Amino acid sequence: MPERADFLHGGLRMRLVVGLKYILDPEIPPRDFRIDEEARRPVQGRASLVISPFDENALELALQMKDRDPATQVVALSAGPASSEEALRKALSLRVDEAVRVETDPLGEPDGEQTALLLARAVQRLGGDILLVGRQAGDWDRGQTGPIAAEILGWPCVTAVSRIEAADGRLRLRHEGPDGLEVVEATPPLVLTVTNDEANQLRIPKARDILATRSKQVGRLSLDDLGLSPEAVPPRSEVTRLYVPVEEHQCEWIEGDDAEAKARALADRLMALKVL
Amino acid sequence: MRVPTRQVYWNIPGHEWMYALFVVLLAVLAWGIWQRASLWRLGRPARRLDQPGRRLAEMNRQVILQARLLRDALSGPMHLLLSWGFVVLFLGTVVVFLKADLGLPVMQGPFYLYFQSLTLDLFGALALIATAVAAWRRYLERLPRLSRTVQDWVILALFALILLTGFVLEGLRIEVTRDPWGLWSPVGYLFGRLFASFLSVGAMRLLHRGLWWFHLVIAFAFLGLIPFSKMFHILLAPLNVYMRSLEPKGELPPMDVEAAAEAGEHLGAAELTDFSWKQLFDLDACTECGRCEAVCPAHAVGKALDPKYVVLNLREHLHAEGPSLLALAARARSAAENGPAEGEGEAVSHLVGPVIDPEALWACTTCRACMEACPVFIEHVPTIVQMRRYQVMELADYPATMQEALTSLEERGHPFRGSTASRLDWAEGLEVPLLSRLGGAEGLDYVLWVGCSAAFDERNQRIARALATLLQRAGVRFAILGDEERCTGDPARRMGNEFLFQMTARENVDLLRRYGVRRILTLCPHCYNTFRNEYPRFGGEYEVVHHSQLLRELLASGRLRVTRPSLLETTYHDPCYLGRYNDEYEAPRAVLGAVAGGGLREMERNRNHAFCCGAGGGRMWAEEAPSQRVNRERARQALATGARRVGTACPFCMTMLEDGIKSETGGDGSVEVRDLAEIVEEATRPAS
Amino acid sequence: MSVLSLLLLRDGGRPDKAALEALGAGRVAARALGAELEAAVVASGGGRAELGAYGVRAVWQLAGPAGDYQPERWLTALEGLVRAAGAEVVVLAGDAAGRELGPRLGHRLGSGSVTECVDFRAEGGRLEAVRPVFGGKATAHVRVEGRPAVLVTRLHAFAPAEPGEAGAEPAVHEVAVELPPADGLPRVVERIEESGGGVRLEEAKRIVSGGRGLGGPENFALLEELARVIGGAVGASRAAVDAGWVPPSYQIGQTGHIVAPDLYLAVGISGASQHLAGIAGARHVVAINKDASAPIFKVAELGVVEDYRKVLPPLIEELKRRLG
Repeated sequence: MPERADFLHGGLRMRLVVGLKYILDPEIPPRDFRIDEEARRPVQGRASLVISPFDENALELALQMKDRDPATQVVALSAGPASSEEALRKALSLRVDEAVRVETDPLGEPDGEQTALLLARAVQRLGGDILLVGRQAGDWDRGQTGPIAAEILGWPCVTAVSRIEAADGRLRLRHEGPDGLEVVEATPPLVLTVTNDEANQLRIPKARDILATRSKQVGRLSLDDLGLSPEAVPPRSEVTRLYVPVEEHQCEWIEGDDAEAKARALADRLMALKVL
Repeated sequence: MRVPTRQVYWNIPGHEWMYALFVVLLAVLAWGIWQRASLWRLGRPARRLDQPGRRLAEMNRQVILQARLLRDALSGPMHLLLSWGFVVLFLGTVVVFLKADLGLPVMQGPFYLYFQSLTLDLFGALALIATAVAAWRRYLERLPRLSRTVQDWVILALFALILLTGFVLEGLRIEVTRDPWGLWSPVGYLFGRLFASFLSVGAMRLLHRGLWWFHLVIAFAFLGLIPFSKMFHILLAPLNVYMRSLEPKGELPPMDVEAAAEAGEHLGAAELTDFSWKQLFDLDACTECGRCEAVCPAHAVGKALDPKYVVLNLREHLHAEGPSLLALAARARSAAENGPAEGEGEAVSHLVGPVIDPEALWACTTCRACMEACPVFIEHVPTIVQMRRYQVMELADYPATMQEALTSLEERGHPFRGSTASRLDWAEGLEVPLLSRLGGAEGLDYVLWVGCSAAFDERNQRIARALATLLQRAGVRFAILGDEERCTGDPARRMGNEFLFQMTARENVDLLRRYGVRRILTLCPHCYNTFRNEYPRFGGEYEVVHHSQLLRELLASGRLRVTRPSLLETTYHDPCYLGRYNDEYEAPRAVLGAVAGGGLREMERNRNHAFCCGAGGGRMWAEEAPSQRVNRERARQALATGARRVGTACPFCMTMLEDGIKSETGGDGSVEVRDLAEIVEEATRPAS
Repeated sequence: MSVLSLLLLRDGGRPDKAALEALGAGRVAARALGAELEAAVVASGGGRAELGAYGVRAVWQLAGPAGDYQPERWLTALEGLVRAAGAEVVVLAGDAAGRELGPRLGHRLGSGSVTECVDFRAEGGRLEAVRPVFGGKATAHVRVEGRPAVLVTRLHAFAPAEPGEAGAEPAVHEVAVELPPADGLPRVVERIEESGGGVRLEEAKRIVSGGRGLGGPENFALLEELARVIGGAVGASRAAVDAGWVPPSYQIGQTGHIVAPDLYLAVGISGASQHLAGIAGARHVVAINKDASAPIFKVAELGVVEDYRKVLPPLIEELKRRLG
């Protein structure tokens, strides 16, 4: 621990690993959202794949730390099918130092426990002081990967972090705790799960960097490389049903000749609700 | 009978000293021009000398006839008289030179009387009047577009003095020599009579001699000032007109992003050396007339952008930094010859920030009004977009909401971040065939390219519905791409993300090729412009029709019949990308004429002078200060016509105008905004 | 067979809202399984006899002090309590603590966890958690393979437990668990007071909330005024937060505050499903939006299609008058 204390000043290079999940666009219009109930997963159709929004925030925080101290290394890590390399390419175009995909093909679609194990093993293999992931992925919304990876790595975990400052050789993490917004002081190694904030919206890549990315390689790690077999990564949960809920709902429209009439009619109806 | 003529250099002993002064003048001129011209070499190559026939024709229209200048009913004739006055007077001087120095017998007989005396005299008088008008406009009317700096009054004073002293000299000579043909120079003659009324012959002779030298010196001074002042335009404006772009107006100059990145060049314009020599030439050609400023919608609502000062600030920067940049380039060249130099850092002399206010850069709607107004054909918009390119592609430094739009365009194929609609929502219940179901475009009249605005904006979905209904009503065979459609890339290109634009363009061209699409119908002028003018360079050659054009045809041929002519008085707002960029002003008016019984009331600024709605150039996705909304200004102009309906032919204009009209009328519904398709749909609804 | 509700109480603390929700959810799970409801309480000190009124049969609590909330230490405490109790199912309320501890606890126990649960049902004798996925666009039934399954609720999805007929006093077991030293662990050094939003949103009876449709930060002033008039709090959608118009503490939605007010007035909010997921517990949703096709109207009871700038000022005046 003592040698960690001065990592920001003593030239000790910090290595940040950011987990990126490449998911079905969460902003897909409800009308276009379809499900294969048999396979219990959504149908992509023509919808786009995007980096899970909170993972973007995590990547931005890591990049901001690199901005402040260029010796910081940022590794983008994704556990997923080959398509996830698109997410890693985007990370490369934002000038992360390395991008690595853990091949999950033998596992199908991994659950939170499986993903956490893969990420944790990859961090051990690649080296890293902090693992940052989004507070939850924008598809299954499980919020398990970060905390469970912390368990596997044996590192403390701070969740829902929105800003990171370095001071006196420690990290000051702004996060949403049980009692509201607070600042937590912590020293690596750490797992951080990241939430959104106006200051951590992911920057956009520069065209020049996108072009430069074309010649860069995305590293790959197989289960074998991580010393794992498919049997050693069992799912801990099973989705037994998946469906689009049917909601019958009728909205009562407030009518009126003009905005003021509508405002009056709305006031009437609000008073009638007896909640004011 | 004596042959009419006059003695050259009468009363000017030692006039040979003039030649010494003339040599000095030539040296100053040559040095000045060289100073300026050498800086143009800082620019990159550009092909602007091809097709001389076409170029000469336009030059004739703009330089000899001054067509653009004459759009201003007062300043136009003023400039025509002033410029032609000086040209004719200059020709008179050439005649003197031919006679005095080459001994040619040209200055005699009827030519002497009609041209050398009468014509010169009249043109001089008209130029003098024009000078007075110019002074009135600048200093008494105080036209906002005109600046009032030192050079402005010095030049006007020189004009006046040169012309006045010329007349006095002429008059004195006529009086003293008792010139029998003096009345052929009527104005000069009058000046002579005036001076004769209070001066003796000897005094007049003395005055003449002194004034002659004064006249000579100020005339030379004026000529010598040319390369150092806005008067440089006398030489450069005709050349700039000659070298104007012959590419389609709707196409932004393309760039090979990949090659530029590979070659280590800046993507877009970071500094002066990233511009072409023609863009630098543009800067020196500017006459500072401010016509661009006067028509700029962003400037009109108080934004930081003033196209005149985009040019002038860049010019000042060119003159200040150019010489050291040249020296740098020379050093770099010699370094390249002698092997790589040590530690020569990449010092970029940035334009955006120090020279161009970023706010100004992003305020441009690319409406092209400035370029349409500029009498010397300066190309403001491409220069602005080129600077945007650098900000976007190299620095990723541009307004956040515009970033969101482009990120959405890249990730989701449309710039409407946060939209909850799907591409097909608008067509619900209409049974519009999908190209993917048909397998190809064979047998179709058109593929209807709906565009993102009409697909994702709830209000504008009504435009798409109206158009599809009309096509079905008229029996036009068409299909749509549905959820295969993507943005054409226009917003990306106008915001400066050339890279994203080109990627999008290639994907779209591929998609359309797979379906064998040849004929495209658009309801959005931006899509129309991109297909028509920008995709050909990416291998996409289509017959592109805007819905206003098709509707005109369907109405004229009777395939659509007006069943209930609309009686609302209507004004029409010209979308920039349909009008100024593609010269389509008449089709929409013909459509309105066919269905609107209420008559068409033109706004003061219409057709090529139309005032932008404020959405172009990516401004659709920019945050606007409430006091600086272009759309509200345009809405006020529309309301000023007294029309009860504003017709337009662009979904972006629709969004802007509807919002503007609502704000200006307090949303009382007294004035409606409708797309042509909606107006026609209502007017041709079959009687039930 | 038993269901264990985990109550994350500070030493000497009485059951709070989250604890009651954990009990309420635990009772739903116990009913589905036909199991008994037990409770594990982190806090030490004080008898827990009162929990009997909530149908709790046995209480497991820490023998020593738990100290302030520190996830690593409390996690160890929970693990010890659950291992001692040996339940079939463990239920936590999905507040910030429950969300961060649940998955880790499931892993430590070698079983597994489900988060964001809104209902439980038994399928073939085993418990399945019902939870929204894909931002609420779909619903999934999830089964945990191992035992005990750790289930974390979506906040406010379960009614808090209410004291019923005074049941038998529960057996109280004190469990000694050695907690890791606090040295070197992350610790709270500062609490940030926020001008608006914050945890108050979760308690608020009336919420006025704004989204991207507001067009800019200055327009939140109108919302503040309306909130003052009706005695409510101001919230925002994620779009408004990401735009930087209001701080993240205002954010309402699946990934912000999950709220359950009597009245939720959505202004200029289109209603992305992840936002709707955060207001599922609201009793009355009223929406003002100029886009009639906005999904917010699919959950709204009352809808006004109009520019909010034109509706709010007269509405504020009208309500001021009527509410005195």
